[in-house]
Amino acid sequence: MVRLIDAQVSYADHIAFSGFSLEVKKHESVSIIGRSGCGKTSLLYAIAGLIPLSKGTVALAEGSESCSIMFQQDRLLPWRKVIDNVLLGMKPGHETHAMELLGEMGLGHKAHDYPKQLSGGERQRVALARSLVRKPRLLLLDEPLASLDEQNRERMQEVIASVVEDHGITLILVTHNIQEAIFMGSRILLMTDEGITFERKNPYHRLPEFRTTDEFFALERELRSRLGGTA
Amino acid sequence: MRYVHPVLIVVLSWYVLALALQSPIVPYPHLVFSHLAESLIAGTTFMHLFHSLYRILTGMAFALTFAIPTGMLAGRFKKLDHMVSPVLYLLYPLPKIAFLPVFMVLFGIGDLSKIILIAVIIFFPAAITIRDGIREIPTQYLELARAFHLKPAEVIREILWPAVLPRIFSSLRITVGISLSVLFISENYAARFGLGYYIMNNWVMAQYVGMYSGIVLLSLLGLGLYALIDFCERLAIPDAAR
Repeated sequence: MVRLIDAQVSYADHIAFSGFSLEVKKHESVSIIGRSGCGKTSLLYAIAGLIPLSKGTVALAEGSESCSIMFQQDRLLPWRKVIDNVLLGMKPGHETHAMELLGEMGLGHKAHDYPKQLSGGERQRVALARSLVRKPRLLLLDEPLASLDEQNRERMQEVIASVVEDHGITLILVTHNIQEAIFMGSRILLMTDEGITFERKNPYHRLPEFRTTDEFFALERELRSRLGGTA
Repeated sequence: MRYVHPVLIVVLSWYVLALALQSPIVPYPHLVFSHLAESLIAGTTFMHLFHSLYRILTGMAFALTFAIPTGMLAGRFKKLDHMVSPVLYLLYPLPKIAFLPVFMVLFGIGDLSKIILIAVIIFFPAAITIRDGIREIPTQYLELARAFHLKPAEVIREILWPAVLPRIFSSLRITVGISLSVLFISENYAARFGLGYYIMNNWVMAQYVGMYSGIVLLSLLGLGLYALIDFCERLAIPDAAR
């Protein structure tokens, strides 16, 4: 689905990451954790085609149109109603699908409100609907829940997990939240300045009841120690 | 209702001044208002009001027709901005009223020269404000446009235009006052209609009550224009969409 080979992204004053290789298979959910500034966001932007690679290659099996990104901030346009935000850049004919998605997110009744009239959690759900209305085969999530409180964050993780499963979407999530990475990722990667330094299959992903088990906390401890303390 | 207090303060101060001076050059407000009402009922001042309104609205429309694309392009493309901005900075501070004789020679002594003068005066602050508005659009919106593969026309329609619209209304509000001043001066030359002509004609004939009713009308024209701009802004940008 996605293949990066020896990829590098450099800015005028620093290198975000270099010598980075990654392969993500269809229907896989990959969580990438790492410290701030290790290049996680740049990696997602490079996959989405928002920034060019300075070295190496990135290939999406179904082309860049098959990929949709959800940003750290909801980036809803304040002058467009909820439904119009969801339909941003879409050709006419997707209104029913957009309304269905908003309904799935529990926001059908807010379709004609403006973003200003929504709570933080609702705004993120609209942003998710906007990413999904394009029927992506690959969904890139750049710490999309960082601004939410614990309760909303867990609820949104479950919403995303169920939508991804129902729609058969391949997922790449970058986050600095270890619990989120464990819940969302069938594979967890640890990204540092040296590239991927640790990788682990996670059979317990998308299981809400797993959040309070010893295995969950053990995995969290392991990842935290590999990350070197606070992520 | 929000204009009641300011109007009361102005009228009260005016009464105090008229009482203190006891001179025909500052007549009592009630004399002016009754003269204004009579002339409006008789229809003698409507043509002046209409001509002034026509000149200022057409001038605004002309100015925005050129200022919007200039400001948007300069704000969006740095290379173009490097060429356009120095020209704007060079010409903006010039007192454009000084060019009225030139405009009268080039565009005739009728309405066109007055309209173009108003348009030129509004153009510079409007273009600069719009350019700055485009520059200040958060890059995250433009990133969003790229992520969702918006075409250039869609970027203008869905992001640039709505983002800069409040700036356009601000620039209009800023320029209404100066436009009215310029309108007043320009209507003193080769004009038979317009509030500027009406005021000065009454002054020449020492009809101070008539002169003041023209001044009140000019002030009401300004108030009406501000109210119109506010109304259009509320219509174009609902409160919840800001």
